[in-house]
Amino acid sequence: MTRPSPFSVRGRRALIVMRDEREISIVRRQLNRLGMTIAECDPAEAPPSDETVDVIVVDADSIPIKSDPATVWKSNAPIIALIGTETPSRLKWLLDLKPASFLVKPLRSAGLYTALVVAFDCAQRRLDEAAHIEKLEDRVRSRRVVFAAVLQMMRGHGLSEADAFTLIRQTAMRHRTTIEQLSAEIIAAGGMPNRTTRTA
Amino acid sequence: MMAGEMRKSALMAVDEINQSDEFDFTFAAHLRDPGGVVAAYHTACDELIREEQVDHIVGCYTSASRKQVIPIVERTERLLWHPARYEGFESSDNVIYVGAAPNHNVVPLVRHMLDHISSDVFCIGSNYVWTWETNRVIREIVTSASGRILAERLLELGETAVDHIVKEIIDRKPPVVFNTLVGESSYVFMRALHEATTRAGLTIPVLSCSLCEPELKLIGSAASVGCITSSAYFESIERPENRAFVARWKARHGADSSPSVDGQSTYVCVMLLARAIRRAGSADVGAVRRAAANHRYDSPQGPIWVDPDNNHCFLTPRLARSVPGCQFKIFWEADAPERPDPYLSNLDLTAIGMGAEKGNDAMTKRSNHLRIVK
Repeated sequence: MTRPSPFSVRGRRALIVMRDEREISIVRRQLNRLGMTIAECDPAEAPPSDETVDVIVVDADSIPIKSDPATVWKSNAPIIALIGTETPSRLKWLLDLKPASFLVKPLRSAGLYTALVVAFDCAQRRLDEAAHIEKLEDRVRSRRVVFAAVLQMMRGHGLSEADAFTLIRQTAMRHRTTIEQLSAEIIAAGGMPNRTTRTA
Repeated sequence: MMAGEMRKSALMAVDEINQSDEFDFTFAAHLRDPGGVVAAYHTACDELIREEQVDHIVGCYTSASRKQVIPIVERTERLLWHPARYEGFESSDNVIYVGAAPNHNVVPLVRHMLDHISSDVFCIGSNYVWTWETNRVIREIVTSASGRILAERLLELGETAVDHIVKEIIDRKPPVVFNTLVGESSYVFMRALHEATTRAGLTIPVLSCSLCEPELKLIGSAASVGCITSSAYFESIERPENRAFVARWKARHGADSSPSVDGQSTYVCVMLLARAIRRAGSADVGAVRRAAANHRYDSPQGPIWVDPDNNHCFLTPRLARSVPGCQFKIFWEADAPERPDPYLSNLDLTAIGMGAEKGNDAMTKRSNHLRIVK
């Protein structure tokens, strides 16, 4: 799968959640220049649920800090926050929104492209990191399985722990499988499985 | 109401300057009234600058309106003279902030509360940036002194249905109520709370960072008494500059009329501007900004000058208690004008926390160890 470059924004879809007409026109014009498509939503209303968007531009000042609708914007699309008020109470609210990037008001045509690129890059990194973390968590979960397989090898072949692990690791490499997968097979078979597909 | 008070005060200052021999120029005031409609501030200022060729703009009460004006004054290199206290965390080169910064206003009141009333507080306020940020500062200071925010109740701007909150206060009997409501919501709340506490035979101190004399009148004489208020200006300040100012105010607006903190601050804005123009020898924005820096003015509220580091003003914080007759009796003021700290960068929470725990009594009641705060 080739991942889209964060620099290519043409054809991506932005949801703008803003109220100030002057600011909306600045964002709209710039998004049009970049070849993006636009959906709009009033900050007081629920976002269109059927809509898939690639990025959300939210005017932080247009949503009350204590309001629940703030949670609605916690979608998977990266969020660009437009910041007018720099008070810590507002910034705290903003942090809960996990913005991928931000722009400080007053808005100009300059800056939005950078915010978009950073947001798309950030979103991609978050996906990559989530996948990486899932892999690591899988490994952590299978630690018990690996440990049980090592014990089995130690008992069955009179090996030390280090030697048993080395045997499993080397066998897994030869079979082009993971230590975790082989360990599961060892436990299922009650010993080292007989593999015929030696590819090394 | 505030807009009217501020306009009256600005025009009074303009007339005084125009009639004074101390200034070899006169001001021509161009008035615009965006009427609190946020988007209209941008249009009004755009008109003032492009059509009237105005260099200096005095006004804006709310932060929302100021945020509308800042882009224009920054783009066109004009100066906005902003009279109102606000929540801080801003510092534009094109704004002179004449009202109180949070270190002048919120911090001394919370400190007083911790030292003399209680560290457990019930907060009620209007649902907008001033309350949000004030409550955050209260929470930060109070929790560092092992106190608690008992509740944080918010009403939409202009909302006057306050009975459920008054009932909650009567039921829970908090040791103190911190009121950051504004306008009609605040007046209705003060009246309802007074009535309810009187009926229940309770005395619950109420704190405010914004009440002023004309508002005490709107609340009514009985319900307005006893509110502990933080402000840089009260009508009762016993300085010759203020006694003369109040006399001129009453001569102009009637003996029953009272200046307010925001009105006085608007008057100070115009005076600071005139004095900076006189010092600079020009109304040029850059020259005026340089001339205003550190140029002391003995105003009705006392000595005041612009700190060029952040364009906010050195001013003297005061605490007062509202008394019968819709006046404030000042019971504390800082020894000298305090440096503005719009980002509260110099707020020393440990020092404030120590203050609250200095008594043996407090020491035994409260532990310094971690505890769960809901």
